[in-house]
Amino acid sequence: MERISSNMSINDMQYQLNKRNQNLYDLNNQMSTQSRVNNLRDDPLAAGHSTRYLSRITHLERYAKNAERIKSEHRVAEGYMKSANSILHRVRELAVQGANDTYTKSDKQAMGQEINQLLNELIEIGNARNADGTTMFGGDKTSTNPYRVLRGTIPEAGGQVVTNVEYRGSIKPSVVEIGQGNYMKKHFPGNEVLWAEQQQVFSGVNAQNYVVDTDTSIQIDGEEIGLNAGDNIHNIIAKINDSKAQVKASLDPVNNSLALTTTSPHQLYLQDAGEGTVLQDLGVITDIGKPPFNIASDANSSGGSLFDMVIHLRDRLYAGDTIDIGGSALKGIDLAQDKLLSSMSELGAQDERMQVALRRIEHEIPELQEQNSKEVDLDFTKAITDLKELEQAHKAALGAAGRIMQPTLLDFLR
Amino acid sequence: MNSTFAGIEMGKRSLVTHTTAMTTVGHNLGNAAKDGYSRQRVEMKAFDPIYMPGLNREETAGQLGQGVTADKIERIHDKILEGRIVKQANGEGYWKTRDKYVLMMEQVYNEPGDISVRAQMDQFWDSWQELSMYPEQTSARHSVLERGKSLIEGIHRRYEGLSEIREMLEQEVQGTVQRINSTLAEVSEINEQIVKIEAMGDNPNDLLDQRDRLVNRLSSLVDISVSGRDPDEFTIHSGGMHLLQGRVANYLSAEPNTQNEGYSDVVWRESGEEFLPRGGELAGYLELRDDDVREEIQGLDMMTINFTDMVNSIHRDAYGKNGKTGQDFFTEWPFVNNVSGNYDRSGDGEFDSTYLFRITGSNSLDPQQQIGLEGTISLSGPQGNVEIDYNSTDTVEELVSRINTSGSEVVARLDRNGRLDLKASPAAEVENPDFVIRHIEDSGQFLAGYSGVLTETGDAGAYDWEQADAVTALRGEGVDYSVAPLSHPAGWTELNPAIANDPDSIAAGFGKNGEVADSGSGDAALAIAQLRNGDVMVGKYRGFNDYFSQAVTKVGLKGEAADRAYETEQEIMQELKGMKDSISGVNIDEELSQMIKFQHGYAAASKYISQVNQMLDTIINRMGV
Repeated sequence: MERISSNMSINDMQYQLNKRNQNLYDLNNQMSTQSRVNNLRDDPLAAGHSTRYLSRITHLERYAKNAERIKSEHRVAEGYMKSANSILHRVRELAVQGANDTYTKSDKQAMGQEINQLLNELIEIGNARNADGTTMFGGDKTSTNPYRVLRGTIPEAGGQVVTNVEYRGSIKPSVVEIGQGNYMKKHFPGNEVLWAEQQQVFSGVNAQNYVVDTDTSIQIDGEEIGLNAGDNIHNIIAKINDSKAQVKASLDPVNNSLALTTTSPHQLYLQDAGEGTVLQDLGVITDIGKPPFNIASDANSSGGSLFDMVIHLRDRLYAGDTIDIGGSALKGIDLAQDKLLSSMSELGAQDERMQVALRRIEHEIPELQEQNSKEVDLDFTKAITDLKELEQAHKAALGAAGRIMQPTLLDFLR
Repeated sequence: MNSTFAGIEMGKRSLVTHTTAMTTVGHNLGNAAKDGYSRQRVEMKAFDPIYMPGLNREETAGQLGQGVTADKIERIHDKILEGRIVKQANGEGYWKTRDKYVLMMEQVYNEPGDISVRAQMDQFWDSWQELSMYPEQTSARHSVLERGKSLIEGIHRRYEGLSEIREMLEQEVQGTVQRINSTLAEVSEINEQIVKIEAMGDNPNDLLDQRDRLVNRLSSLVDISVSGRDPDEFTIHSGGMHLLQGRVANYLSAEPNTQNEGYSDVVWRESGEEFLPRGGELAGYLELRDDDVREEIQGLDMMTINFTDMVNSIHRDAYGKNGKTGQDFFTEWPFVNNVSGNYDRSGDGEFDSTYLFRITGSNSLDPQQQIGLEGTISLSGPQGNVEIDYNSTDTVEELVSRINTSGSEVVARLDRNGRLDLKASPAAEVENPDFVIRHIEDSGQFLAGYSGVLTETGDAGAYDWEQADAVTALRGEGVDYSVAPLSHPAGWTELNPAIANDPDSIAAGFGKNGEVADSGSGDAALAIAQLRNGDVMVGKYRGFNDYFSQAVTKVGLKGEAADRAYETEQEIMQELKGMKDSISGVNIDEELSQMIKFQHGYAAASKYISQVNQMLDTIINRMGV
């Protein structure tokens, strides 16, 4: 039989009481914080997972925010494109009308006047700005107007009119992340959206015997294309065609010179990277001016913007040149409208992609929150029943101890 | 023949014995609540009866009992059990310290929650995302700045929290050494007294109790074994050495170690040799200070230096709203203040080492491309260099991951331009500085011509830190490198004041062809925000997600283990103490019944004396001479 000393039951009770108090304290803490993990040791693996979930949720919320904002900016841009399109409708109507010889020359000049007004409206759209003051069609050059207007006098117009509209924005669309590795264009370079014809550049320099002398690279529309020493013109053409730039290079059969044609309508930005002079040597560009205003003077460049088309039509109307109005001018307007419509449909497609991304995020966030909650949140029902159980045990233990510890032999000695 | 007054003598003897027993009962009752007290018992012995065999022995019936006497006063005590308690105490002490301090470390993390460093860093990345959306705005830059500040403050706070714990542990080490010494001194003094008392033939019960208590305390501080093989010389060993032999104590001392940031080593005071405890609180404190907390601080440093270096290297390449470029976002003091990383390690006034944290090769690599080269890379590892073989069919990606799993203290990754980044991770050995690349060598061309890190292959072209101007081994112009920090990056990194004073300097766009970035260009901001999710190699961790979640799990698991082990140790200790109490503890009821017993014995003895007295009265007064 084990001998029980007087202190044993007291020590034991103290020890057990302490333990139970600790449990009560822990449970109480859990209930008040609503979390199962108050210290990392309560469930280290769950805590580790939880940090990942929480970070991921922060991220997804950011992606959702980005997508929402881009979406609304796209809506605004779409509105501007739509109104540009309806203006082009009117312009086209006038062009069809003007291509008709039943109208007199002064009628046509009046049509020219209307188109001139519409042109100004189109320029306004080109220089449109978002609510935060950034330009919409200037690529990532967002603080200055993308279109610069040159004015001149045309006798028929009776005063100064717009004679040229130059694009001064950048060709680089800035991107925003709307999902991990999922990017969306934020701005639209005007020389792509508001462009009409394919641009072509024919150099006037015979390139038959040209050989690259040192490793260098050229940039077409910002895409860097590396060239090695010893590359001949055919190698260069192949490398350009293999690159991501939307341009087709070929050898002009007449002059044996380099010819570049865009594969989707936009303005060409040609540049030699760093110290290189390949494009200069090939007679495509000069070292004077920055792209796109650096095409070599003896190179033959064609292809114009929406504004060029409208100006061309207006000038032909002023001149009363029926054949050109119904021919080149009308065709130009059609091309501009085509490009604008395809840009709008691209915008629509992007919007759809964004919707999908948003829906996915909206689905994923609650999912993650649920997972996180499973890891670290408290099962309240269980906690309450546990607490009740402990409470009962605690009371019973205290009561029993109070009774057992009281009497000693002393109580019965006289 | 029996003496006339023998009865009174015998009665007196019984009275004295019972009084002694009563006093002992009183002593027991008085000490009933005292911790570690062993109850004492008076061992009663029948007094030597008459007569012993001999010539003068009287021819009467024998032997005639002569009553009772107190033979000795003993403590009721189980030596073997005591030994087990002493053994157990050092485990309890060890886990108690771990439990307490690991909990403190856990609390530094604030996880899972929204005020942790991780959450602040998430907010920081988020602000770069915002800037990538609105690169033209100053307000987005303010948000980057403020969140950057609060992140740095968060990192500082965590660093301070951890280094405070380390300081506390250092004080505990010093305090524990003092407590060990004073306990040893007390035990040696008691030993002296015990030997003297035992020489007199007495039992020094209370002193023995006291010594047991002290030995127990000592055992909870440090792992000891006790031997009483020589009854006159009580000895205490630790790690095979004498801590105490009879009266001679070998004291310990805490000596600051400059190689370990001035934290103390525990040494023998006499010989100066290092004392390595294997259990008890002292071992717990040393282990926590030099392993657990140091590891945590290193981890935080590693995260900070990688984080700041990567943000800086992108930020330097990009342009601010005001057109400024080449500025660091974070600065750290003190860095090695020499562009080539030259450093005077021995302090003799001449540069003798090169401290570089990161080296980036000049060539852009394609991760999927096969190398087409063979060779062996050797990189600095925890003990000597680690060798990594590669052959021509390996892809760049495979080789990079092989370097990262090789166990070297250098990790590799491809940066956003595809260039090979080699970065130092914290050093396992105390004598090696953290975040310093110590050796790079390649017998083949991979690190040399292929990735453009080193100028030459083989031994001749090796980069080694133990010389000044080691950067000459690197491949000239295209190579980029950053120098190593001299102190804890987590404690001393700040936002670049130039940027803090002018938020428009915060860069958002890269620009093209050496031209200033356009106002709406947010690609650099996006590149920074993407560091969060990329495989950027934070030391041995793949990315920040891995670092944060593993750091949390690791410290949590340590806490869990300490918590469970401490509870188990306590349970066992409780059990053992219960057993001891069952044997040695005082039971008041028992003592009281003993008291009643002795009271009755005493009463009986006095009755006997008065009876003898009456008998003598009859003889002396009534026989009527």
